[in-house]
Amino acid sequence: MTDDCIPMSRRTLLTGAAALALATAAPGAARAQGGPIRLGTLTPLTGAGGSYGPSMRRAMEWVASEVNAAGGVLGRKVELASEDDQTNPEAAVRAARKLIDVDKVAAIMGTWASAVTTAVAPLCWESKTFLTTVSGSDTITQLPHQGYLVRTQPNTHLQIGKLGEFLLSLKVKRVFVLGAQTPFAVPSQKRLGEVLSAGGSELIGGLVYDKDKTTFRSEIDQALKARPDMIYLNGYTPDTTVLMKELYKVGYTAGKVAQGYAVNQKLLDSLPAEVTDGTYTATPSPAVDSAGYKRLAKFLGTADLDPYSCQCHDHISLVLLSIARARGEATGTAIRDNIRKISQGNGIKVDSAVDGLKLIAQGKDINYEGASGPCDFTEIGDIVDCKIRFDRAEKTKLKQIAIL
Amino acid sequence: MEGYLVAMATFAALYALLALGLNLVWGMTGMINLGLVGFYAVGAYVSALLTKKAGWPMAVGLVAAMLAAATAGALVALVTGRLRGDYLAIITLGFSEVVRLVASNEIWLTNGTDGISGIPGPWRGQVAPATFNAIYLVLSGAAVAIVFLAMQRVRHSPYGRVLRAIRDDDQVAAVAGKRVMAFKVEAFALSAAVLGLAGALYAHYTSYIAPEGFVPLISIYIVLALTAGGTGSNAGAVVGAFLVVFFLESTRFITAGLPGLKPVQVAAVREFLIGAGLIAVLRVRPSGLLPERLPRHAPPRTPSGGR
Amino acid sequence: MIEVLQLLINGLVAGTILAVPAIGFTAIYAVLRFPNFTVASHATIGAFAGYVANTAFGFPAWAAVAVAFVVTGAAGVVNDEIVLKPLRPAGALTAAIAAVALTIVLENVIRFVWGNDLRGYDLPIRRDWQWAGIRVGPQQVENLAIAIAAMGALFLFLAFTRTGKAMRAVADNPMLAGIKGIDADRVARLVNFVGMGLAGVGGMLLGLDTSIDPLTGFRVILSVFAAAVVGGLGSIPGAVVGALTIGVAEELSLLSLAPAYKTAVGFAAILVVLTLRPRGLLGERAF
Repeated sequence: MTDDCIPMSRRTLLTGAAALALATAAPGAARAQGGPIRLGTLTPLTGAGGSYGPSMRRAMEWVASEVNAAGGVLGRKVELASEDDQTNPEAAVRAARKLIDVDKVAAIMGTWASAVTTAVAPLCWESKTFLTTVSGSDTITQLPHQGYLVRTQPNTHLQIGKLGEFLLSLKVKRVFVLGAQTPFAVPSQKRLGEVLSAGGSELIGGLVYDKDKTTFRSEIDQALKARPDMIYLNGYTPDTTVLMKELYKVGYTAGKVAQGYAVNQKLLDSLPAEVTDGTYTATPSPAVDSAGYKRLAKFLGTADLDPYSCQCHDHISLVLLSIARARGEATGTAIRDNIRKISQGNGIKVDSAVDGLKLIAQGKDINYEGASGPCDFTEIGDIVDCKIRFDRAEKTKLKQIAIL
Repeated sequence: MEGYLVAMATFAALYALLALGLNLVWGMTGMINLGLVGFYAVGAYVSALLTKKAGWPMAVGLVAAMLAAATAGALVALVTGRLRGDYLAIITLGFSEVVRLVASNEIWLTNGTDGISGIPGPWRGQVAPATFNAIYLVLSGAAVAIVFLAMQRVRHSPYGRVLRAIRDDDQVAAVAGKRVMAFKVEAFALSAAVLGLAGALYAHYTSYIAPEGFVPLISIYIVLALTAGGTGSNAGAVVGAFLVVFFLESTRFITAGLPGLKPVQVAAVREFLIGAGLIAVLRVRPSGLLPERLPRHAPPRTPSGGR
Repeated sequence: MIEVLQLLINGLVAGTILAVPAIGFTAIYAVLRFPNFTVASHATIGAFAGYVANTAFGFPAWAAVAVAFVVTGAAGVVNDEIVLKPLRPAGALTAAIAAVALTIVLENVIRFVWGNDLRGYDLPIRRDWQWAGIRVGPQQVENLAIAIAAMGALFLFLAFTRTGKAMRAVADNPMLAGIKGIDADRVARLVNFVGMGLAGVGGMLLGLDTSIDPLTGFRVILSVFAAAVVGGLGSIPGAVVGALTIGVAEELSLLSLAPAYKTAVGFAAILVVLTLRPRGLLGERAF
């Protein structure tokens, strides 16, 4: 910094005073100045999503520590404030309030359940806090979020579209949907019906159940009355566990398919093989070949990463790179205005925040390709495309069948 | 930090309204209502739906919420009014659970577990969030003040005396020529209106409501608030509500000092303390911190007490 | 027609299992004269006690049920002595409120130790037996047998043992029983042990066929209360009749209501009975 001698004219003084007053009055201003960059993580440490929340948070903590070890963002350290959304919108809103008002974070990252994201989103866009989520429900990006929201998970339209394609490839004719009460229950059913009938099969029926019960005898009876050859279990792990046991008890031998976050390794380990064998699962396919994925896998100590931890790794990387691109302005607005400049386009491809920060410091343009996929966003915050991987459970292990 | 304190003070004001409502039926009339949260939910949903889906102004929503809740309260009282206190406890609890079930399952009306988001609020989006929150705190505080004054007037009026007579021994009141059922239904409806108002204010404040937010535990918080503050006393209701909110939120910060516990365990400890707190208050000071300052001979008894 | 028959069978099985905690609830009411809603959390305690016996110590189902009975009975006595007994003189309403608070306390102790996740017993998952479109699970039949055995044992105890008869005397006429030298305190402890023990057995039977979590007992409290009220609060045969009625009614309601509304049936039943026949189907005489 050169030792300039700036004559302090009256106008400069007044401008400076006004700027200072504005800066302290505007809610985000304090975050924009020097000092640490504060970001918030809001993941399901307990509740239906409780098996993912902790590793989602650890993925973000890891990126933060890597970036800090390499000198931070433009010399500023990254600080994370973490809260548990309990997979419950009520608790999530109060936790988000605390992150925004007390911790004064520039971004909240990681919300998992669609109901949680729908509840927290208005708090974020009103306070100009950026929100990154792994929720899939279509309605989320249709909210009036003014650009303060992106998601790295394929939306229901995309996901179910590919599921329908896969089921058609298996030549099933009569599909029945057993869905938990969630925001995506009805849209999923509709979309699946469209895709199936376009391909010559049929969605013969669907039922929405209350996921907090411990028995689903009557629901199963209703489903089986329709004589399906494939049942789509559209719920979460706890209720899907009970449903699979009951389907076995009742002697159902035709096809079962579920989302990968419901029928995960934990569920497969908790049930005997006879109960789960033959179940198909659908999971957004992370970019397993990317260096980012491999490094994250090494850190988390597992060869088979869940898609949410990969996405959270990308969330924080994208946020930090956006802040760097905005010359260190750590506000939700700055992130909103810069995220697409570093996530897509013709810049140099990078797959880690550390590498990206180095290039940005040199004034270069970058295109971040994440551990979960290319991370290219549409105007309303959806990802442009995504690959879905289909597995089948065999002797309590998942075997890959196709990637669509 | 101020934003957070303002938010918590607003929640305390809403809980104070609930406690005042409970005081009218329980403290003054002797009818326990463990289904408070059901009327809270009715008020919240009615106002949310009218303002968001039908586009009506918030003031209309508030009034409609109060009317809807009062109607529900009158119905519940008509059906259960003759029941003993202990039966009434579980029935009213069941009522609030049924309300929650309906809210979760009648998706065409309430959006189910998805909840209703984007509920309008006074000048929301036109002023900075901090300003909105401050405005809302003033609004809620005003509501508390108005309801408090109204309840005080009830308490000191002949109407209030009849209610207390019914509380203490409704057979005597009946013999004295008072139409006990009519009074009970009226008191319950009036109380429910206050609960519905609190619910509507809650909806417009948070801009998002969902069935999961209306659980029986909240009714227990309010019972604790009233019992701790002083059953029968309106000032006690307000004080108790603030104590409960303070307690609930302070545990959030204490958890930082208890690193060994998992989040679900912290939640369990918090709920444990609420239940234990209520038991402790019942044991130590059944009349609460700010008890009624009216001459009484014995703690409230139901006709067939178990002595 | 087959559908109705299936629902009827499901209802009878569910009702028989519901009868176990309902009897406990109504017996405590008969002797101690207040509705002890902690039956809910004691059912959960029983479910988890059996879970520990089964998964940690490898007990088979029937032995784990016995463990559930004893552990929950003891817990019931302790909880009553420490919390509820001192409050009983303040009236049934205060005691009822304290019971609701206590049930929350106990539920959260369980949540503290085991978290909110669903857990299943370590028992083989067996296929249902099917004839002519009707299906019954082997576990359901076992549960039925255990429930009937428990009720049978209780009946023998009350009818033929001295302590059993003393309990009936206190329920019938506490003053007279006191005059005859029966120790009311002892009887109270006994009825708590037996009543809560039955609640614990009920909780475990509920979970054997499906899964358990801290909310297991709370989910059925409305149905248990409904069963007791419908049959006549304080009457043990009434509790059995009431439970079967509620069990069948809840299942038959599936013909027109969504499954989610099953608990509303119990609620509606209580209202109907209290409006039309407040003393319940069998009246309020205890035994």
